[in-house]
Amino acid sequence: MDGVGKLKAIGRRFIPFASILVFLTVWELFARAGVVIPYLLPALSTVLAHVYADIMGGDLFRQLGLTFYRAMTGFFIGAVIAIPLGIMIGRFRFFRWFFDPVISITNPVPKVAFLPIFMIWFGLGDVSKIASVILLVFYPMVIAAIGGTLSVDKQLIWSARSLGASERDLLRQIILPAALPQIITGMQIAVPLALIVSIVAEFLMGGEGIGGKLLFAQRRINSPGVFASIVEIALAGAILIKSLEYMRRRLLVWHPETKLTTA
Amino acid sequence: MAEQTNITVENLSHTYMPPKGKPVLALDGITLSVKDKEFIALLGPSGCGKSTLLYLMGGFLDIQDGQIRVNETPVTEPSRDRGIVFQHFALFPWKTVIQNIRFGLDKMNLAKSERDERARYYIDLVQLHGFEDSFPSQLSGGMKQRAAIARTLAMDPAILLMDEPFGALDAQTRMFMQAELLAILEKTPKTVVFVTHDVHEAVLLADRVAVMSARPGKINEIADIELGGGPKDVKSPEFAEMVDHLWDGVRKEALAAGQGR
Amino acid sequence: MNIGLQRIHTFAVKYFPLVILIAIWELLPALGIVSPDILPSILAIAVALIDLFASGTILEHMRVSLFRAFTGLGLAMVFGITAGVTMAWFMPVRIVLNPLIQMFYPMPKSALIPVVIIWFGIGDASKIVLVFLGCMLPMVVGTFNGARGVDRETIWSARSMGTGDFEMIWRILLPSAMPEILNGARTALALCFALLVSAELLISRHGLGFLIGNYNEIGDNTRMFAVILIFALIGYGADRLYLLLRGRTLAWMG
Repeated sequence: MDGVGKLKAIGRRFIPFASILVFLTVWELFARAGVVIPYLLPALSTVLAHVYADIMGGDLFRQLGLTFYRAMTGFFIGAVIAIPLGIMIGRFRFFRWFFDPVISITNPVPKVAFLPIFMIWFGLGDVSKIASVILLVFYPMVIAAIGGTLSVDKQLIWSARSLGASERDLLRQIILPAALPQIITGMQIAVPLALIVSIVAEFLMGGEGIGGKLLFAQRRINSPGVFASIVEIALAGAILIKSLEYMRRRLLVWHPETKLTTA
Repeated sequence: MAEQTNITVENLSHTYMPPKGKPVLALDGITLSVKDKEFIALLGPSGCGKSTLLYLMGGFLDIQDGQIRVNETPVTEPSRDRGIVFQHFALFPWKTVIQNIRFGLDKMNLAKSERDERARYYIDLVQLHGFEDSFPSQLSGGMKQRAAIARTLAMDPAILLMDEPFGALDAQTRMFMQAELLAILEKTPKTVVFVTHDVHEAVLLADRVAVMSARPGKINEIADIELGGGPKDVKSPEFAEMVDHLWDGVRKEALAAGQGR
Repeated sequence: MNIGLQRIHTFAVKYFPLVILIAIWELLPALGIVSPDILPSILAIAVALIDLFASGTILEHMRVSLFRAFTGLGLAMVFGITAGVTMAWFMPVRIVLNPLIQMFYPMPKSALIPVVIIWFGIGDASKIVLVFLGCMLPMVVGTFNGARGVDRETIWSARSMGTGDFEMIWRILLPSAMPEILNGARTALALCFALLVSAELLISRHGLGFLIGNYNEIGDNTRMFAVILIFALIGYGADRLYLLLRGRTLAWMG
């Protein structure tokens, strides 16, 4: 490859980052030019220095850890309830009759509005926050499990039955794996949601955690602290989403979609 | 297998309810008997209910009106002695070829060594040696169908129900598969019900061909394919004559359906 | 059976599970299994609702909340659809905007509540901006994917018939992208109420979220439940309205 071609290739590789770079530069210059007071917009360098200090101080990981602990506990409890229930609803008429109207009516309701009820029921501690996460993550997962179960190819079930599978074999060996891509999609929606709800619950109920840290910084009029927390939350969220995509590929090696994305 | 296997269909009608609109009569008073070790093809234009008839024989759909008996026992649900092969294979995509074949075997009361041996035998029979650990998505259409056939044959069912099994394959692969199926049946004779809309295929494979009418499906004619014994000669005038004759019947039905009868 | 009766019968069978749940709710406090403080009876909530409506308290807050939600959502739709279509049609715009969207998309928008309050205070502006920021991304992404999904043959045949850029966007791209735009709109609709109520609960002096938080603080649980119920109904009603409009739009499109 000649020099110009090489340069072009490098250029093409960096194009996706160009506008992000411009955005960050404009942020830095705009803040430094003193158009707005630093309280409204601290310079990017100030914010990054703050993030660096947070990481070095070690406190960040304790706070993030607390938020993640509540988010993940809620997510796992939610998944353990929602996924088997969704499969049962998809598979058995009685379950569908009972739960379908309940879920379809309560799903579009803005569920964050129910958090104050949990504050009355469970107080302001972890139980309340985890319960909030469970409520919110339940819906995308149960809906995914119902959809996945209902869309299992009928001929797969017929084949399994004619090969001597019992109802139990069907649920565990056919329906669960066949519905898995959709169930994982539901989980991919639920996990970031769990993180968000965990943060919002800290906003509303107080207590430590990354959301608590953010709110504390705002109350102290420490805007570099506010922006640093937001950057930290965004990074944590991005890492979470990327690891979910990785896990999806690992879990669904058999699925044609995997071949497409790795090829 | 010493025991005789026959299927009796008596006065079978079937109506299905589309999500929207009026009920559709798919089968209307079908009566048919399939003899032991006989290969019967159900031939008809698309939408004539031939697959529905097969699914009813399999016990996958509930029988509404009439009766199907296998050796005088009414069919009510799927069973191991009626193996099925679908047009789109219905392999379990999250299982490898060998795991697919082992699926039914592992639910049988057999020693592990025997299950291993049977799985290996059928892998060899359908010539999938070397692809045991591939996922279905990594196989070609013909290989997928061979895997599906091996999975069904491994159960050693007395009856083989085949739902346009070669319909999704290209012409060349289809020819190979037809020859292979005949060779396999030579080794392990079975009672076969084979749904197809390909007249040539029906004449080539079957002992008898039941020609079905357009919806609502009835049996118009049952043709004995007796072309002088031995392997069929596709180039013989008798073969061509039989194809022409059946083709004429199917074409009339397809036209009738097209005119919205 | 009479068709009307048949319908009532189907309806009753369908929603009977809800009746069971409501009966359980009513019985729990009535039988003293849980304190009415923790779970007020539906009757008490209904009385509180009538009172809230009669005094006009709730109407004012409802007006504020709906204004904030729909202004933010409306702006997000206009900007989002415009940006999405422009990105799909003009490559330079795509090159500039796509990475920024990729960067901001996974970010939890609720975390921005403290920032919009720093920027725009605790009144309407901060809530509208928050809703706008949150709802814009699903609109952009939905529109972009929909418009990118139009097959080349359609565009080529329109081109060969002498279709210009503007007409192409208006007559080909937008209608083809409509199903995905509408999917984005549903996500945005749900997000808009969730973001609004979070922000109002956290810091506000008006709006239904404020009212819920306020009754929570003074310990008037019955009224708190009543306002939450109203908010839930608004969210549910908005979704039903959306479904109705989507049905119309897609039917009109054929």
